[in-house]
Amino acid sequence: MKFFRYAVIVAVIVVVGVLRRWRRRRDGRSSQPRGRLAREYVSSDVGLVMGRELRERLRSRFYLVGTVVILIVVGAAIIIPVVHHSKNTDETIGVVGGLSPATRTWVMTTARAGAVSVHFVTLPGLADATSKVKSGSINFAVVDGRELLVETQFSANDVSTTASLAHAVAIHLGESNALVAAHLNAQQSAALSHAGPVPIVAVRHGATKGVNATSLIGVILIFMMLSQYNTWTLIGVMEEKSSRVIEVLLSTVRPVRLLAGKVLGIGIAALLQASIVVAFALVLSKIVGSNLLHGTATLEVLSTLVWLVLGYGFYCWVYAAAGSMAERQDQVQSLALPLSLPLIVGYIVSLTAASATGPSLLLKILAYIPLTAPFAMTTMVGFGAVAWWQFALSVAISLASTVALARLATSIYRRAILRTGSRVRLREFRRTR
Amino acid sequence: MAGLLEVQGLSRRFGALKALDDLSFEVRAGEVVGFLGPNGAGKTTTMRAIFGLTDLDAGRVRWNGVDVGAAQRRRFGYMPEERGLYPGMRIGDQLVYIGRLHGMSLADAQRDSDSWLERFGLAGRANDKVESLSHGNQQRVQLTAALLHSPELVILDEPLAGLDPTGIDEIGAILVEQARTGCCVLFSSHQLDQVEDLCESVIIIDHGHLVDTGRVDDLANSGARRLVVRVEGDRSAAWARDVPGVTVSEVTGGEVRLLLDDGVDTDDVLEAARRGGRVTEFVMRRRRLSEVFREALK
Repeated sequence: MKFFRYAVIVAVIVVVGVLRRWRRRRDGRSSQPRGRLAREYVSSDVGLVMGRELRERLRSRFYLVGTVVILIVVGAAIIIPVVHHSKNTDETIGVVGGLSPATRTWVMTTARAGAVSVHFVTLPGLADATSKVKSGSINFAVVDGRELLVETQFSANDVSTTASLAHAVAIHLGESNALVAAHLNAQQSAALSHAGPVPIVAVRHGATKGVNATSLIGVILIFMMLSQYNTWTLIGVMEEKSSRVIEVLLSTVRPVRLLAGKVLGIGIAALLQASIVVAFALVLSKIVGSNLLHGTATLEVLSTLVWLVLGYGFYCWVYAAAGSMAERQDQVQSLALPLSLPLIVGYIVSLTAASATGPSLLLKILAYIPLTAPFAMTTMVGFGAVAWWQFALSVAISLASTVALARLATSIYRRAILRTGSRVRLREFRRTR
Repeated sequence: MAGLLEVQGLSRRFGALKALDDLSFEVRAGEVVGFLGPNGAGKTTTMRAIFGLTDLDAGRVRWNGVDVGAAQRRRFGYMPEERGLYPGMRIGDQLVYIGRLHGMSLADAQRDSDSWLERFGLAGRANDKVESLSHGNQQRVQLTAALLHSPELVILDEPLAGLDPTGIDEIGAILVEQARTGCCVLFSSHQLDQVEDLCESVIIIDHGHLVDTGRVDDLANSGARRLVVRVEGDRSAAWARDVPGVTVSEVTGGEVRLLLDDGVDTDDVLEAARRGGRVTEFVMRRRRLSEVFREALK
C-alpha cells in the first residue's frame, strides 16, 4: 500500500506539472513572476470565460439541488450500514432449574458479537415458563439445561435473532451436556470447549475478498458527477450556439480559449461539489463511526478525486465537441446517448466486479482504457489489486489521450460551432474545410 | 480616432455557392456607412469574415494598414443579425462580461454598462434576465454590448430590424453619434429610407461582389434625371408610355416617377401629361436610395 500511496502523490504532481508546463508554453511568459502571471491569467479571456461559467453554475438551482441530493445519497450510504450494524436487539431468556455461570457467559458473549443483548429471567417452574413464552414476555426458556421451550417450532430458513440464538444455545448446551456425559476432566473439557478453527492461508497476496466500500461510493460518485457535468458542458455549448451569443464571443475570443475557459469553469464547479461531498462524507463517517476512514480509505478517496478530475478532463472535450454540432434540445438528446455508453459500460462492469471476490480480466483491461479507467481503476484500487506503476501507467495513458482528444475536439468545435441549420455530422468534416 | 477598414479581394465558396467573389471596399472613420444588398448577397458572410468567423478562400481584411487579428478585433464591436446574448443571464453581468472580454477593467465595464442602461431607460433592470425583456429592449442591450468598450469600428447586421419608429430613431441617433466621435460605423439594413437618412455613404453588393459604392448624395444626384408627375384621375401613367426618351420607373398611388434620357425637354413631358388630365404635381427629384439600389442590381 505504501507504493500505492506514492503512486497517487506522483500522479497528482505529474498532473499539476503538466498543466503548469502547458500553461507556460501557451503564454510564453515563463520568466514572469508567478503572482503577476496568475493575475494576468485570471483576468485573461480564458479566466473571464471560466469565471462566468463558474459563477453561473454556482448560482443555478440545478447545482444547489444536485449538491443537496448527492449529500443525501452519500449520507444515507454512510449512516444506514452504521445504524444497521449498531442496532441492538434485546432477547430475554427464561431459566428454569438453573444455568451454569460458564454457559450464561458463553451465551452473553455470543449474543453480543451479533449485537444482541441477553437478559436471563429465573422462573419457578415449567408452567410459568410456558405461560411467559406464550405471552411473549420472554423469547424462549431453558429448562434444566436440557431443553429449550419456544412458542412455535422454527422453520429451517428462519434467520431471526431469536431463532439463531436459540439454535446456538441448543447446540452449546448439547455439547456441554455431552462433555459432562463423557466424564472428561476439567482440563480436557476446557481444551475441547476452546477449540478454534485451523488457519486459512491465501496463496495470492494483495487481493482481498471484496472491494472497499469507499471505492464503491467513489465509483458511484464519479458516474453521477461525470454524467451531470458533461451534460452541462454539452448543453452549455449547444445553448451558446443556439442563442447565437457564440458569434459575439468568438468575435473577440479564440475558439480554443473559449472552450478551455468553459470546461475549466464547469470542471472547477464539479471539483468544488466533489470536495464538498468528500468532506461531508469524511466528517459524517467520523461522527457516526463509519469505517470509511479506516485502513486504506484515505488513499481510495484520493484516487477517486484523481479519477474524477481525469475522467472529467477526458470526457469534457468529447461532450463539448458534440455540443458544437447540435442546435436544439432534441439533437442534444440523440447525441448524449451514444456518448454516455462508455460511461455506462465502465460503471456497470465496475459495479458488477465490486461484488466479486477479485478483479476480473475485463476490469483489468478496462482500467487502462481512458473511456472506462475512471471507474475500473477506482474499483481496482478498492480491491487493493493495483501496483503503483499500474496506477501511474493508467494515469499517463489517460493524460496522453486527453491531450490528443482535446486537439481533435477543438478542431471539430471550431468548424461546427458557427454552422447553423441542420445538425452537423462528423463525416462532413472530411469534405469541408 | 482615425481609422480605415480595408476589405480586399474577399472570396468564399460554400460548395457550389460563391458567397463572396473578389469583394473589395473601404470604410472610413467618422462615417455611418450602409451595407446594402438583396438577401443572399453576402453581407453577413462579409461581416463574419471581418471578425474571423468564417474561413476565407482568398482576400484579407486590414485595419489602419494592418491585417486584422485578435488584438484588432478586441477594439471592434459586433452586433450579429441573429441576436446573441445569454437568455438566462443577468443583463448587467452579461454586459460587464462582454466589456471585459474586450479588455475593459471591471470598474469601467460596470460604470459604462450602468450609464448605457440608464440612457436606454433600463437602469432598474440590470439584475433581470435578458429573456424577460421585450424585443426592442433586447435589441438595445445587444447594441450596448457592441458599443460598451467604445470600439474603433462597429459593425451591425440589421440593427433596425423589428424596431418601432421610435426605436429606429433612437438607435439611428446613436449610430450617428458614434460616427461623430470618430468611430467607423458599418451596418446592413433592408430599410432603405432609414439608411438614406442615417448614412453618408453606402456599399451595395450582389452575388458576393461589389455593385456600387459612394456617398449617398453623389449616388442620388447621379444617373438619369427624375421627374415626378401627378395627373388627376390617372393611376396607370398611360399618357407617359409613348413619350420618346421617357421611361416609367415607378407608379405609386397616382404618383408617377419618370426617368428622362439626355435631351428630353421637360416641356414636352408636361404637354403629354396635360393631355392625360389636369396636372397637380410636376417636379424634378434626385434619385432615392431605393432607386439607386434597384438600378444598381439591374
